[in-house]
Amino acid sequence: MTIKRMTFLQELLAFLGLEGRLHLAWISSAEAQKFVQVVTDFTETIRKLGPNPIQMYHQAITDGDSQMDSGFRPMKVM
Amino acid sequence: MIAKVKQLLENETVDIFIGYKRTDGHPLPHVFTKDNPDELDHMVSGPQRYSLEKFATHMAAEQPGIRIGLLARDCNQRALKVLYIQHQLDPESIETVDLNCCPSRLKTHADCSYLETEKVGDHKKQRGLDNTLNTEDVETYDQAERFSRWMYEFQKCIKCYGCRNICPVCFCKECSLEHDDLVEPGPLPVEIPIFHLVRAVHMAGRCIDCGLCEDACPADIPLRLLYRKVNEIVKDVFDYQTGSTTDQSPFSQLGDKVTLEPRAMVAL
Repeated sequence: MTIKRMTFLQELLAFLGLEGRLHLAWISSAEAQKFVQVVTDFTETIRKLGPNPIQMYHQAITDGDSQMDSGFRPMKVM
Repeated sequence: MIAKVKQLLENETVDIFIGYKRTDGHPLPHVFTKDNPDELDHMVSGPQRYSLEKFATHMAAEQPGIRIGLLARDCNQRALKVLYIQHQLDPESIETVDLNCCPSRLKTHADCSYLETEKVGDHKKQRGLDNTLNTEDVETYDQAERFSRWMYEFQKCIKCYGCRNICPVCFCKECSLEHDDLVEPGPLPVEIPIFHLVRAVHMAGRCIDCGLCEDACPADIPLRLLYRKVNEIVKDVFDYQTGSTTDQSPFSQLGDKVTLEPRAMVAL
């Protein structure tokens, strides 16, 4: 079930422009070495991809970068 | 069509019939009953669409065992299939008067608001996404541009829940989009793209491409484009065409019933 959902999500995220940031691995609690390896490798993959675009988007809005947004500002609705 | 409905009501094949009645000049959904036969003379069918099966779901929930007839266009028929699979409606209690509405050279009449494509403005085409695009067209953009265009569209969302409310296959009593931890109540715009991603993921195996969500959206977000991609993924990866079959959705089946070729998820 997990692999079905993850495969689906992977494709969907790619469609939105968030490709490559999802990773699935089955690791038992007895496979400490494997866990370390997987996490290290994926951290490196992410580092190469750069900051999360969603993060960058919110940062740009806060910085007042008009290129990123179209004038819609977050507002508190009572 | 009116004669057929009259017959269904008179023979007591159904207790009620949901169709459209001209009310104050507008064709609005109406429940026709045997007790008011004169109303049937005002029954109409035009390009306007509502999710009649959604009303049926609510009625069936309140009065289990009620037999409901409804006017069913192609989209309604697909939605009904999904609702049967999800046990929201009992196929034994539903009777449809089918209204085939797909255009064809062999058929002189095609009548549906779905077929009226709205003109898309230039600014939207430049910064966001043209609603009438195909999923392949979106895939010609690179990752960064795709993201920027989708975010342009999503940030217009005012959290009206119109898409969720009108969707014929959305029926959860506790909607995850109303959960405080997932979607913060109050500030606008919503947490993007999370809100729309959550909705898209929930549409897997359910969305039947009726297009009512996009009709309902006041911000003109290309929801149908997104959910069409969802349906494409479900079709390509799981070989499941939502709305065309009475088989269970692959996401409802545990275990090995749905075989999936394991694909390495490393280094995409």
